[in-house]
Amino acid sequence: MRLYALAVFGFLYLPIAIIALFSFNAGRHASQFAGFSTQWYGKALANPFVMEALWTSVSVAFASALIASVFGTMAALALQGMRGRVRAIADALIYIAVMVPGIVIGIATLIALVTLFGWINPLLARLAPEGAAPQLGMGHGTLIAAHALFSMALVILILRARLEGMDRALIEASADLYAPPLATFRQVTLPMIFPGILAGFLLSFTFSFDDFIIAFFVAGSETTLPIYVFSSIRRGVTPEINAIGTMVLGASLVLLIAAQLILRRGRRAAGKDGG
Amino acid sequence: MKDKIDHISRRKFMEELRRYQKGSVTRRHFLGVTGLGTAAAVLGAAMPGLLPRRAFAQGSIGDRVVLATWPNYHDLANFDAFTAETGAAVQVNVFGSNEEMLAKLQAGGSGWDVFVPTNYAISTYVDQDLIEPLDLSLLPNYDAASFDPRFADPGTVGGKLYAVPKNWGTTGFAVNTSRSGGTTPATWKEFWDLTQTTFSGRTMVHDYQLTTIGNALKYFGFSFNSVDPAELAKAEELLLAAKPHLFAINSDYQPSMRSGDAWMTICWTGDGKQLNRDMPEIAYVLGREGGELWSDFYAVPKSAPHRAAAYALIDFLLRPEVNAREALFHGYPVPDARLSAILPAEVLADPILYPAADLLNALEFGAAVTLTDPNRAELMARFKSA
Amino acid sequence: MQRRLATSVLLAPAGLWFAVMLVLPLCFVLVFSLGERGAAGGYVPAFTFEQYANLPARGQAFLNTLILAPVGTLLALLIAYPLAYHLAQGVGPKWRTMLLILVIVPFWTSILIRSYAWIFLLGGQGVPALIEWMGFGAVRLINTRFAVLTGIVYGYLPLMVLPIYVSLERLDRRLLEASADLGAPPLRSFLQVALPLSLPGVATGCMLVFILLMGEFLIPAMLGGGKVFFIGNALVDLFLQSRNWAFGAAVAVTLVAIMLGTVTFYLMLMRRLGGARGNVDLI
Repeated sequence: MRLYALAVFGFLYLPIAIIALFSFNAGRHASQFAGFSTQWYGKALANPFVMEALWTSVSVAFASALIASVFGTMAALALQGMRGRVRAIADALIYIAVMVPGIVIGIATLIALVTLFGWINPLLARLAPEGAAPQLGMGHGTLIAAHALFSMALVILILRARLEGMDRALIEASADLYAPPLATFRQVTLPMIFPGILAGFLLSFTFSFDDFIIAFFVAGSETTLPIYVFSSIRRGVTPEINAIGTMVLGASLVLLIAAQLILRRGRRAAGKDGG
Repeated sequence: MKDKIDHISRRKFMEELRRYQKGSVTRRHFLGVTGLGTAAAVLGAAMPGLLPRRAFAQGSIGDRVVLATWPNYHDLANFDAFTAETGAAVQVNVFGSNEEMLAKLQAGGSGWDVFVPTNYAISTYVDQDLIEPLDLSLLPNYDAASFDPRFADPGTVGGKLYAVPKNWGTTGFAVNTSRSGGTTPATWKEFWDLTQTTFSGRTMVHDYQLTTIGNALKYFGFSFNSVDPAELAKAEELLLAAKPHLFAINSDYQPSMRSGDAWMTICWTGDGKQLNRDMPEIAYVLGREGGELWSDFYAVPKSAPHRAAAYALIDFLLRPEVNAREALFHGYPVPDARLSAILPAEVLADPILYPAADLLNALEFGAAVTLTDPNRAELMARFKSA
Repeated sequence: MQRRLATSVLLAPAGLWFAVMLVLPLCFVLVFSLGERGAAGGYVPAFTFEQYANLPARGQAFLNTLILAPVGTLLALLIAYPLAYHLAQGVGPKWRTMLLILVIVPFWTSILIRSYAWIFLLGGQGVPALIEWMGFGAVRLINTRFAVLTGIVYGYLPLMVLPIYVSLERLDRRLLEASADLGAPPLRSFLQVALPLSLPGVATGCMLVFILLMGEFLIPAMLGGGKVFFIGNALVDLFLQSRNWAFGAAVAVTLVAIMLGTVTFYLMLMRRLGGARGNVDLI
């Protein structure tokens, strides 16, 4: 059994080992090892397009995860215990948002927004004085909006499970004690659902950071890290891509382990964890 | 980075940054106050995410230019030289077909400043109102008289110059002769027959309807540009029969040819030259039945976000000495007579670049109709999804 | 009254988002699917079912997807289940978290880069060279269905392991011990105790992976060499090469319809099997 687990981990990490190995390749070609060098790390870090793509990815992921967490939490609270037609429609929409493949979402968003902007932009141009009209286009905003949609559905689903398991008596008790609804929310509901919100935020961030296919269609001229990687692969890969991959992987590994340690220490401090 | 800005507090820095972004202070004030002026020149390019975009611009053309081009088509050292000279970094996006470029431009928001359309595609871009007539005052290195009109003329549509020539070339096939038993196939008939026999699983074709369908048409002796339904049906039959024997459908075939995974591929002049240069056993062949003769151009989309940089880049690449470096790297012939004085004699006599007259005369330029013909597009899609 | 107002305010932003970014685009796709291709590509308004009549031209892509998506899901399940079982039951708590992190981490490297590594591994200088060196003759792996399946299983394995692990972790080890004490052979205790309890996790994992595979585009594009076509590839091709938006929209509508059908059928099935459990969620 242990041998089997080892084999599966081998399968999971073999490609990653290859990526890391070739990131230290001195040669230009990604598939012929020509000696050890760290030059590609320097090249990647000094490449303004890589850094900007990274920045775009991080900022889009952060913004969309934030929007999704806030609006998703609000919606989940409103939907809690609700029945009837609104609830049925909301459930159907969430279900569709999760189920429709990203590629269809990307294409649908592209044709809808391109058409819509095609209608709106001439109106804007007529309203404003010569040349000063703001023009809508595909880019940062559309990318955040598209990612936030899927993430919002995720957040609502996670919180729904959490809210269902929550003890309503607490909220009612708080109301009975004449606490205003906002205070009840802040002091009772929020602490209970906060881990869910955090999980939703992290999941949303990861989804957005890693998404290629939706971004491929709706990003306009913006380049996210996956889009940059995709076009580099077509251009003939240099080990620069391997260096980027290895760095992102290393950073996430460090973050994950750090989070784990902090959680463990927190638990120990709270006296809940015997180990 | 951090210690360079230590002499003002982080909060002050952010305030100044925000004021700068809002436009209430000038760039010079911002750079001076934050001490970034000197740092920017050295380190600016390393961490642009932390800086406002304009802060690491050096010249008046901005800090970047986005180029959409074809695989293996530029000497990257030239881009480094351009960046060193102007301060604008070059982002290269690679495409495998004119259809793909057209689709991206039609959908809007491509973000490209310069792209490289092929002769037969230019009139469609003009019809679709996607490219602008070039402002020749911004291209002092463009000398119309030195360009071969046969390759330069498609850049002019309705009397206006929309595109300047980059390279010309042919579409033949590359074959690894160590795998073909010493004989080199010489016709498209042999290409497709070998694919289905001894080269089964080892041949690549372009992910590009013009050349893949065109050279299947050549098997039957039809025109490379045919849109005749009966002729296209024959070509489709051949393509579908060959498909199970293909290694891949991909316009970027150099990696697979170099690694030995693929033995034969539809191939453009320069890729043939690059492969032959490094691996002499790979031969570049023009099918005796004919095939494609083409010329590529530089054009500027109407939507170009960095127009000044776009012109600067084209002008830079048109400089004869830069263009010569490009040609030495990518192995495509240049239709600029000024280069004849610069390029080494063996390049100018290279039969891969400059094929014999009888082979050259059999070739056809691509026709504009093939780009928009729905039947050819759908045939290609059926072939790929079969 | 006040409560209703609060509810509306809370729902408004998400509602607006879903309306503009989901309902509206899907309506556009539906409308476009009834149109025609423009002369130079794109879309021209019309009212015709011609695009739907042309769907058989992508029959092979639909067929490929409908075969490879379930097969890929099944393979991922077969590989993931024993690992999840081992992590949940055979590893001490100290190592468990670490190993779980190790399952998730590959997921944090772009699937693009990982697939690129597979191009090398399955290409002539990778595994096939090893096989040939060991004397088993020449094989070609890259640009085959096998390569695509490998990439798929590799890419989605973590998504399969996690839900199964969660359901197995809840399983009380004493149940298995009790079963063993009563003289049941290990296989039988597994089949009668562990397996039924882990089914919800299996169902969630399978659904998650299946949904993602139905829309897959990247892995077949990279490891299939343009020869193994999923519906996703057909869609990208229609929008980014042949520029036939109307037909592309029809293919997209059909794909969504197939998925709605499959998932609804699955939910009904699970509801019937789950009986008292009643509420089965996708996630």
